Amino acid sequence: MLSWLENQAVFSAVLSLLLIGGIMTSVAYCIYFERKISAWIQDRQGPNRVGFLGLFGNFHFWGLGQPLADGAKFLLKEDIIPSRVDKPLFILAPAISMVIALIGFVVIPWGGFYMLGDTLLSVQVANPDVGLLYVLGVGSMGVYGVVLGGWASNNKYSMYGAVRATAQMLSYEIPMGIAILIVVLACGELRLEEIVAGQVGGNGLWNIVLHPVAFLILLITLFAETNRAPFDLAEAEQELVGGFHTEYSAMKFAMFFLGEYVHMITGSAFICVLFLGGWELSFFGIGPAFPGTGIEDTGLISVLIKIGVLSVKVAFFIFLFMLVRWTLPRFRFDQLMRLAWKGLIPISLGLLILTVLGVYMGWQRSVIYNLGGEIAIVAATLGVVVLANKPVSGRQENMPALGQPLGG
Amino acid sequence: MSSMVPYILYVLFASGGAAIYLAMPKPSGSQRQAALILGVSVIAGLMGLMSMHFVAPNSNNLFFYLFAGVAVLAAGRVVTHPEPTYSAVYFALVILSVAVLLVIQRAEFLAVALIIIYAGAILVTYAFVIMLAQQSGAVATNTQAREPMMAILVSFVIAGAIAGKIEQLDAVPVRLQGQAVTQATDVADTVATLDENDSRSGHTRAIGSLMFGPYLIVVELSGILLLIAMVGAIAISRKQVPIEDTGEPRLPVGQIGREAPPF
Repeated sequence: MLSWLENQAVFSAVLSLLLIGGIMTSVAYCIYFERKISAWIQDRQGPNRVGFLGLFGNFHFWGLGQPLADGAKFLLKEDIIPSRVDKPLFILAPAISMVIALIGFVVIPWGGFYMLGDTLLSVQVANPDVGLLYVLGVGSMGVYGVVLGGWASNNKYSMYGAVRATAQMLSYEIPMGIAILIVVLACGELRLEEIVAGQVGGNGLWNIVLHPVAFLILLITLFAETNRAPFDLAEAEQELVGGFHTEYSAMKFAMFFLGEYVHMITGSAFICVLFLGGWELSFFGIGPAFPGTGIEDTGLISVLIKIGVLSVKVAFFIFLFMLVRWTLPRFRFDQLMRLAWKGLIPISLGLLILTVLGVYMGWQRSVIYNLGGEIAIVAATLGVVVLANKPVSGRQENMPALGQPLGG
Repeated sequence: MSSMVPYILYVLFASGGAAIYLAMPKPSGSQRQAALILGVSVIAGLMGLMSMHFVAPNSNNLFFYLFAGVAVLAAGRVVTHPEPTYSAVYFALVILSVAVLLVIQRAEFLAVALIIIYAGAILVTYAFVIMLAQQSGAVATNTQAREPMMAILVSFVIAGAIAGKIEQLDAVPVRLQGQAVTQATDVADTVATLDENDSRSGHTRAIGSLMFGPYLIVVELSGILLLIAMVGAIAISRKQVPIEDTGEPRLPVGQIGREAPPF
């Protein structure tokens, strides 16, 4: 019955269709959960009205119909293209933003291998030789949507948003690349499937145990790359109206946000694959693996379990994204740049040297060496900051010293 | 027939130059229709020549012809578009098409590196500068190209000479025969010799072994050169900004902004 599927190309095509459907649906529900979580944090109710056409009487299903209503609203609203904008780029920008976010998916290994008939199929749309670099390349293209949209809008606020986004993404790509390089060095692999396999079973710890600081750096840069709070200076409502999307309305506006949420999901899946063992379920790789999540399990049920495990991990990160967004205030721009250039980049360079040394000496799988070294590097960086005794931000330079009366 | 090929190539390149000249922004308005027709026919002629002389289009090299055409057309727009922002976008299109060509040749590492470095970093910085430089829309200098004739003459003579020379090399038709796009043979050989046991590791490992093996000194030297260039750029761009003396006494630290008069 399924013999037509026993071909990696056909299987990949079907898988990518399934993925696009699944991801677009989860994006819609991500927006719903974002609103629910913000309501929870701010002690409100959140969306709770829209049920399913009143089919179930007065029961509203906690507003679960809201994403459908939102989508319909976005499609039906008037799509305004202001008269003085640069029309081709204005239309192109949201499309670029969404397409770039979507094509990052193809290299994520969702569920190991699937044995169908006699063929071993990879549950991954594509497995290029350079999987990890592909994700980096696609991520580095992500800024085009924001920049072109901001410039084409012919609006000062949009322009400021675009300029901020560019500077931020260029700065945070450096620590991101170095953190990824650390994983590449430690695993000796660029294929994401192989990186997962290296963390599975008896031979592997999850990379988060070996490189917790690199994990934190990648997490922080991911917040910056997706333009989420506290790094959402490109759309700071209090200063820039809407930032780069000030002039956008209806579905074009929605596409920017679909792109942002898809980027969040891709980034979370990516970080799970790199540091949290991908589809594998065990206690940080220390305990016994959950049945069905080993590398040798290729049945349909174990593939489904693996996909479920990875989805739960991704969901956890998305929850974290939302929690942070509704908890932390936004950075000021100089703080943002200082964090990248004076904090993350020196630390990640130190980690890189540590990892290179470890690989050279054959200690790359030693927890004591990696953990001790990382703690020492972070402590040294913090020590330099403390010993230099420089004020952390420009505003503090103008503040009186502690204990001195105001207005001296 | 085959002795005629270089001359056909030169004619095609001359027509290509003429097409670019027609498409250049000029105060009198550019003849874009004529340029487009001429340019597309030149590309079609080049492709026809390739398909006759080297290998016919088939399902394997369809993407080569497609993306090569896109790359050449977009490159033409990079130099002829009056708006610098559009030039940058078209340049991104060129980079992506060339990356596809590299993927077709199974040079995935080179393709992704091209995208990360050019499209992801350099071009975004260009776009940044262009946008900051002209926020008030198109400027008058955009409507005319500076010395278009000389630039087109030089670049197309060089391109035609290179193409004619490549055509004369015996190795090229042999290598292209039967297979439209050959593998990068050297790298493929290296893969075969370096990783006979580990065929999965692919070209990236081979490139790494080459770069940090025989070519280590070159790589290190170019790294140092880039570092020196970066330090130089920072040193040049840093300027001492004189603090304007407004004549008012500066408030002591801690009182700035706290002496505002009451409403």
